[in-house]
Amino acid sequence: MAIINQATKELQVKIVYYGPAKCGKTTNLEQVHGNVQNVKEKGKLVSLATSSDRTLFFDFLPIEAMAIKGFKTKFQLYTVPGQVIYNTTRQLVLRGVDGIVFVADSQYDKMSENVESFTNLEENLKSQKLNLSDIPYVLQYNKRDLPNAAPVDYMEYVLNNRELQVPSFAASASKCDGVFETLNMITRLLLNKFINEGSRKTP
Amino acid sequence: MFSLPQLFGEDIEEFNSALDRLLSQTDALAAMIIDVGGFLITCRGENSAFDATTLAALAAASFSATQQMAITIGESTFNSVYQQGEKFSLLLQDVNGQCLLVVIFKADNSVGALKYCSTDTIERTKSQLGRAQERHPSQGLDLSSLNLADPSAVFKRKQE
Ligand SMILES: Nc1nc2c(ncn2[C@@H]2O[C@H](COP(=O)(O)OP(=O)(O)O)[C@@H](O)[C@H]2O)c(=O)[nH]1
Ligand SMILES: [Mg+2]
Repeated sequence: MAIINQATKELQVKIVYYGPAKCGKTTNLEQVHGNVQNVKEKGKLVSLATSSDRTLFFDFLPIEAMAIKGFKTKFQLYTVPGQVIYNTTRQLVLRGVDGIVFVADSQYDKMSENVESFTNLEENLKSQKLNLSDIPYVLQYNKRDLPNAAPVDYMEYVLNNRELQVPSFAASASKCDGVFETLNMITRLLLNKFINEGSRKTP
Repeated sequence: MFSLPQLFGEDIEEFNSALDRLLSQTDALAAMIIDVGGFLITCRGENSAFDATTLAALAAASFSATQQMAITIGESTFNSVYQQGEKFSLLLQDVNGQCLLVVIFKADNSVGALKYCSTDTIERTKSQLGRAQERHPSQGLDLSSLNLADPSAVFKRKQE
């Protein structure tokens, strides 16, 4: 869980980008790394990948936001490998997660992979005694630029038809479209959560 | 689900004091406490020589992967990971299932002596984490000054 260090007024937050293989998770981190401008400190993007550029373990990007009202806020962005065989690795990366960005591939023929990956996310959280409904998350419908992208309404119907609907964003990560909107929304949800939990009074 | 307690100044001071003692006893280069999720909690010693944030994330991942290997071969746990290099070596040890102790030391120093000395560091860290856990989780937490009505985005994209 997020580390709140009162001594140094520091908040550390872990965000995991989840989704099927090749949906654009790594691309999201690369775009954030390449295009972010107003941060205090940007670490280097570490990728534990195979020679063919598939994420093997995870990508990792540490990034420190400008002090938000006196708090140093350090974000750690991770991706998971999407391939089905790497499930153990995905479980490891989810340890201590605070917020999730679920990246879906908008192409029609990827819909069943999207659903499978979403179900897998819920199962992996359960194995850590976590519930998706307790964790802030947002959806990103990526690759909107492709001609065979399914309509956003359809994506919403497939992936966002739970009792509680979450914010969703259309994106073309390779052009950086929607990348910052997605990151800022999950950030906002997380900070809100900390504030609400923090202001809870001792009984 | 593990969850790290909120840490106050006194917690960090105690961790630092335990780490400093370890550094003085062993002439290790640097020592840090990290959480299993990959966060750096505190680092002492020559931490300017390397990227501590990245090292924390990789150490946590490596430790988790090793734990998983233990389970896979029917061991209940491997509670440490040791990597010997030519110049420097790295020792990762479990503190309490939530936190790890990471020590970077000269490769020609004995890992046995280091392990022996770090028993005390681990004990002290563990007890302080216990004390932190017993406090009410929201005690003293004041994030109310974070003003989220402020519409400016936390992360801004460069303009072309
Ligand atoms: N057309 C298009 N391609 C994309 C987009 N985002 C990512 N890609 C491509 O999809 C492939 C897989 O992306 P990657 O980020 O490695 O996926 P990951 O497996 O989820 O990490 C790469 O060739 C990317 O260039 C997008 O928005 N539109
Ligand atoms: Mg990837």
